[in-house]
Amino acid sequence: MVKRTALLLGIAVSALQLSAQSVILNNNGKKPTVAIKNAMVVPVTAAVCNNCTIVFSGGKITAIGANAAVPDDAMVIDGTGLRVYPGMIDSGTRIGLTEVESVPGTNDISELGDLNPNAFAAIALNPHSNVIPVTRINGITAAVASPGGGIVSGQSALIQLSGWTPKEMLIQSPLALNINFPRLRTSSFDDQPQDEEAEKEARKSYTEQLDKLRDLFRDANAYAKAASARMKDVNVKRFDRDVMLESMVPVVQGRVPVIIHANLERDIRAAIKFADEEKIKMILADADDVARVIPDLKKRDIPVILGPILAIPPREDDPYDLIFTNAQKLNEAGIRFSIQSDDAHNARNLPYHAAMCAAFGLPKDVALKAITIYPAQIFGVADRMGSLEVGKRADLFISDGDPLEITTNVKRVFIDGEDIPMDSYQTLLYKKFLARP
Amino acid sequence: MKQIAERRAQIAGFTIALCLGFAAFAQNVTVIRDATILTITHGKIEHGSVVMRGGKIVAVGLDAQVSVPSGATVIDGAGKYVTPGIIDTHSHTSVDGSVNEISLPNSGAVRIGDVLTNEDVNVYRQLAGGTTTALVLHGSANSIGGQSQIVKWKYGRPLSEWFIPDAPRTIKFALGENPKSSNFRPPPGIPAQYPATRMGVEEVIRKSFLDAKDYMAKWDEYDARKKRGENPIPPRRDLMLDVMADILRGKVDVHSHCYRTDEILMLLNLSDELGFKVRELHHVLEGYKVAREIAAHGVGGGTFIDWWGFKAEAYDAIPYNVAMMENAGVVTVVNSDSDELARRLNLDAAKAIKYGGLSEDEALKLCTINGAKLLRLDHRLGSIEVGKDADLVIWTGHPFSTYSRVETTFIEGDVYFDRTKDLAMRAELAKEKRDRLKKEADEEGKNKKGKKEPANG
Amino acid sequence: MRSKWTPVLPILLLLLPIAAQAQAPGVYAITGATVHPANGPDIVNGTVLIRDGLIEAVGANVAIPPDAAVIDAKGAHVYPGLIDAQTSLGFPSARPQTRRRGGGGQRGAQQEQLPETSPAYIAMRNVNLTDDDIDAARGIGVTTIVTAPAFGIFNGQSAVLNLGTGTAEERVIKSPAAMQISFNPRPAWTFPDSLMGVIAYIRQTMLDAQWYSSARAVYDKNPTVGPRPETSESLEAMQPVIAKNLPVVFVADGELMIRRAQKIASEFGLRYIISGGRQGYRFADDLKAANVPVLVSVKWPIAPTSKEDREEQPLRVIRDRQLAPTTPSVFVKSGVTFALVSGAGKTGDFIPGIRKAMDNGLSADDALKATTIWPARIFGVDRQLGSLEHGKIANVVVSDKPIFDKEAKITREFVDGREVRLPSPDKKAGESAPSAVDGTWRLTVRSSQGDVAVTVTLHNENGALTGTFSGDKGSGDIRNGSFDGTTVEFTVAVKGQSETESSDWVFHGTLDGTSMSGSVTTSLGTVQFTGSKGR
Repeated sequence: MVKRTALLLGIAVSALQLSAQSVILNNNGKKPTVAIKNAMVVPVTAAVCNNCTIVFSGGKITAIGANAAVPDDAMVIDGTGLRVYPGMIDSGTRIGLTEVESVPGTNDISELGDLNPNAFAAIALNPHSNVIPVTRINGITAAVASPGGGIVSGQSALIQLSGWTPKEMLIQSPLALNINFPRLRTSSFDDQPQDEEAEKEARKSYTEQLDKLRDLFRDANAYAKAASARMKDVNVKRFDRDVMLESMVPVVQGRVPVIIHANLERDIRAAIKFADEEKIKMILADADDVARVIPDLKKRDIPVILGPILAIPPREDDPYDLIFTNAQKLNEAGIRFSIQSDDAHNARNLPYHAAMCAAFGLPKDVALKAITIYPAQIFGVADRMGSLEVGKRADLFISDGDPLEITTNVKRVFIDGEDIPMDSYQTLLYKKFLARP
Repeated sequence: MKQIAERRAQIAGFTIALCLGFAAFAQNVTVIRDATILTITHGKIEHGSVVMRGGKIVAVGLDAQVSVPSGATVIDGAGKYVTPGIIDTHSHTSVDGSVNEISLPNSGAVRIGDVLTNEDVNVYRQLAGGTTTALVLHGSANSIGGQSQIVKWKYGRPLSEWFIPDAPRTIKFALGENPKSSNFRPPPGIPAQYPATRMGVEEVIRKSFLDAKDYMAKWDEYDARKKRGENPIPPRRDLMLDVMADILRGKVDVHSHCYRTDEILMLLNLSDELGFKVRELHHVLEGYKVAREIAAHGVGGGTFIDWWGFKAEAYDAIPYNVAMMENAGVVTVVNSDSDELARRLNLDAAKAIKYGGLSEDEALKLCTINGAKLLRLDHRLGSIEVGKDADLVIWTGHPFSTYSRVETTFIEGDVYFDRTKDLAMRAELAKEKRDRLKKEADEEGKNKKGKKEPANG
Repeated sequence: MRSKWTPVLPILLLLLPIAAQAQAPGVYAITGATVHPANGPDIVNGTVLIRDGLIEAVGANVAIPPDAAVIDAKGAHVYPGLIDAQTSLGFPSARPQTRRRGGGGQRGAQQEQLPETSPAYIAMRNVNLTDDDIDAARGIGVTTIVTAPAFGIFNGQSAVLNLGTGTAEERVIKSPAAMQISFNPRPAWTFPDSLMGVIAYIRQTMLDAQWYSSARAVYDKNPTVGPRPETSESLEAMQPVIAKNLPVVFVADGELMIRRAQKIASEFGLRYIISGGRQGYRFADDLKAANVPVLVSVKWPIAPTSKEDREEQPLRVIRDRQLAPTTPSVFVKSGVTFALVSGAGKTGDFIPGIRKAMDNGLSADDALKATTIWPARIFGVDRQLGSLEHGKIANVVVSDKPIFDKEAKITREFVDGREVRLPSPDKKAGESAPSAVDGTWRLTVRSSQGDVAVTVTLHNENGALTGTFSGDKGSGDIRNGSFDGTTVEFTVAVKGQSETESSDWVFHGTLDGTSMSGSVTTSLGTVQFTGSKGR
């Protein structure tokens, strides 16, 4: 037993070393005036502008156009043969919340217990995680960082992938509450014969989980009502504060949306029903079976976060391309959607998740939107980001080609107008070992 | 979902028209015309043709140079790309039950080839990603794991046809966190599995080989005594020591899971000292740190291009690893270790262009001929050359474009995946499922009704 | 091992003749029934004459001797007793897994005695048939079983037993009947914990058996040749197997598993039988070509109860579920030798399972053969059993309707020529009474640090115990529980000094009515415990 403690300790120590802060250069705090000239500018929300100039200053885009004026003090970048895109936004990640998956000490994703609405990703963000530079130098400039686990996992934050403190990284928090909708699994899908006991047990636990969730919302509604009554009138009897229910108030008041994670048709349907009952502002996430519930989503204008796209279908009989084709089905039906990597270390591959949808029918420009303007719209920040438009945040990158193609290289990245060093822990190791004598 | 139709052909002797397109055409002659052919070993042929007959490639070249045999099935490849089948040197797909015999530090006696299943739909999904050949490996729970199996993904065919007759025997070794049980432990009541350090991992491997040498000596001694006309008690045959001895005899190829600099060098040094050959270092995420040592030993490297951070020993993994190893002269491959990733190894290979600047030609080798070399099957696999197996993939565009899809996958001239047929068969199979469930429900309904009617008295 | 029988045996032998003499004269004539002899055409209004345990005559015109007790079976049907050729009756469904390291150091997959079973485990010596087991079988017309434990890999040497009265030894028709092998991986971290490990283990055991035979032969010829080879009970027991004198029953259901078994069998030149075989419909011709008999388990795959769950299942599984019951009729067409068995199913499911095979094309005649003469042939007991013929053992069943009919009821039954008790009609076949061990027990463990109170709630299901414990040392589920009628075994994980520390206490006790006592093995040594059944 002593040995075991030592072992745990050993893990803790190594965890410390591993989460030792990134030594990669960070943003320099300056938001200069920059003009990129002669580039192909892809605003996403407007037509592609060839031989174009884009100017940004103080962190905001100030001009886009073939004849945009270049201010005298501007740092000029020759964009000949290059392209400019809005920074990509990953709609669901663990960025900032994990460093090494297998080392518990470096992970702040899942809190204990089923109900953790008060677990805010914004609290535990590590701005110096090595994952951040690795991700941003491939053109992903913002990400949704979400807690996971349990039934109510906690609340996501929309973060920019630079900053010296968590606060500097935050674009919006809380962004959304996350619910892993209870799943009914009364039988395995493959060879095992049905076990009646197991089925009963599964149904019971499913009902219990649903009840827990309903109770939470009922209590939160009551709490919100009492709180607002007391806010209006101090003579209303005081009540004990509750940290969990308090975090639910913006949710039940409809100010914070709920990302409900559900994969299979029956779980999605149950989730929609729940959202109807609780009058939740619902965003559906994961949703492998999304194509089976299109009318229901359409009727309620529920947006969908798809992904990871590079994943295998849930059932043996599902078409091999089930997950690749969902985006186009939503696109055709006019349902709002975006794409997530649902990853941390390889959130940098976000554009290739989108590209796989394009390989299976989604128009290429829509695939790009699904990782730029669409997430901004779904999360209500499209006034600030998600496309190249005058007045929006200068989150953008310069590449030598279509960023959805793997063989394209991202040359420079600007986040909130700041010039981001194109290095990461990995490029430094690369350079170090290229130089091995 | 046509997998099911194919399977059904194999299963019960169902004669279902659906599967006819997918089986029993080894005698067919098929020609792909007017495609861009990425031969791998002889460059790119635009407006080229490939002829497949009797499971082999019998002609390849410019359209003008290749004549279409009479009676051949002709596929119009205009605008399409053709590559050899993708080779995945690290798979666990199609294993029935656990991929690990965890209970022993050396589980060399067990064989993956004993427990394959031809009913894993992931095989079909991989065919839909152009993968045709795989090394199916034992897991990495032990310093020396089980014997692995090289197969072709002949989904829908009996397992006996999956095995490649002249494929070498292989065995899995594993170094680092997994064999030392860093991330999983036995439940209470079971003592920890030896070893717990990289030192112990080395000891297990060293001792296994020393034991094997003793074992071989015992058998030599026995044979000698027999030859002298004596009648000695035979040594006891031991399946684990048998395979260790066969490694020493060069009859079994070592494929070792590894991550860190120290353990990579440990294994290379041990192989020098004890006289065995390592064929491929798998994962080898720090290979770039010691690429020249690996190259000097003539050992290959197979890796994930960009996975990192999933455990401590994967923290220094960089996507430049592949290019750095390849440039140092290591025969390098991208492999999957994943049912999912195995469907798109072409795209992992493309990343070696992005990270480290390999040329397109070099990168193409990462998922084709290099794998064939490491499996010692490059005489029949890995490139489009006359005489090689007709394992071919037709793509809608360049396989390094993220927008490309696999159209058709051939193994030995037979179609194992075809997107058009796949799409056509979906409704058919959905109908069969509906019908079967309905029939079942109807029968049950009848029985229930019968039950409900009160019996006489 | 299980020495329970050894001291009793001589006494039993002494008592035997006396017991036998106390019986009434065994001469019966069953008359007026439709006789289904299983080896020939049905006889309308036939007679079966039983004398001294054997069938004396069967026919339409059998003279009824004056000393015969006449049973008028007009309108009824008479059959040879059914044989259920694959059961684990008389054995618990699971044994406590005494976990053993596969080897702390460097051990390979060499021969070892697995604690659950081994080749030397003899079913005949260890079988413990309860009245419930016997009643359930007799109640559906089964008079003979082949039984061996289902747990472990080398399940042991099975026995063909008649379900008459008397001791296990008196019931034996044949022992050993076969060496039974199952592909059961053991718990993780215990060799072999994977299917491939199981196969390697079987293969190594076969090699070891071959080596044993050759090493012993060399040594026996010339003891000066070298160090004496070890003596091994297990390898000794394997000798008839590798010499092809004893068949192996491989328990294998699916096609892939059957083919794996066949591969091992051909590698070592074994005589073998497949048991399970529900996917036999897929490759009956191959099985015919291999000339391998199959004991087809009628425990057919069942559908999930909910419609939604069914729709979630792969077509492959649905198709297999619907086609599995065609296996027997496909076998008849292909000429595969087979029997129908309850296999891993409950006795009570045997007849409904056979009916399902009949719904899927098996004729009633073949269903009868597949439960009588064919299994008798497969196990080499067809000179004694399997049909109503002169000279065969008088296992005779009288049924009011054709025996596989839904409403059929067994009215009279003879085993070894003696009429046997049938279960009362209100008792459902296969249903067992609550076990004596079921309930809450208050136990006191006399530990070195003083008495420790532990309350356990136990539930027995076919010899496997489940339940919970609570008390001074924490609470939780019991593990590795077993109950064989007298001996109780289970393990609890008790709390130690610190939060993280826990260790196992292994209870081994004997049940005596409502009290229990025995020993507890702890990490600090073995101590005693006593206790009684609470409310």
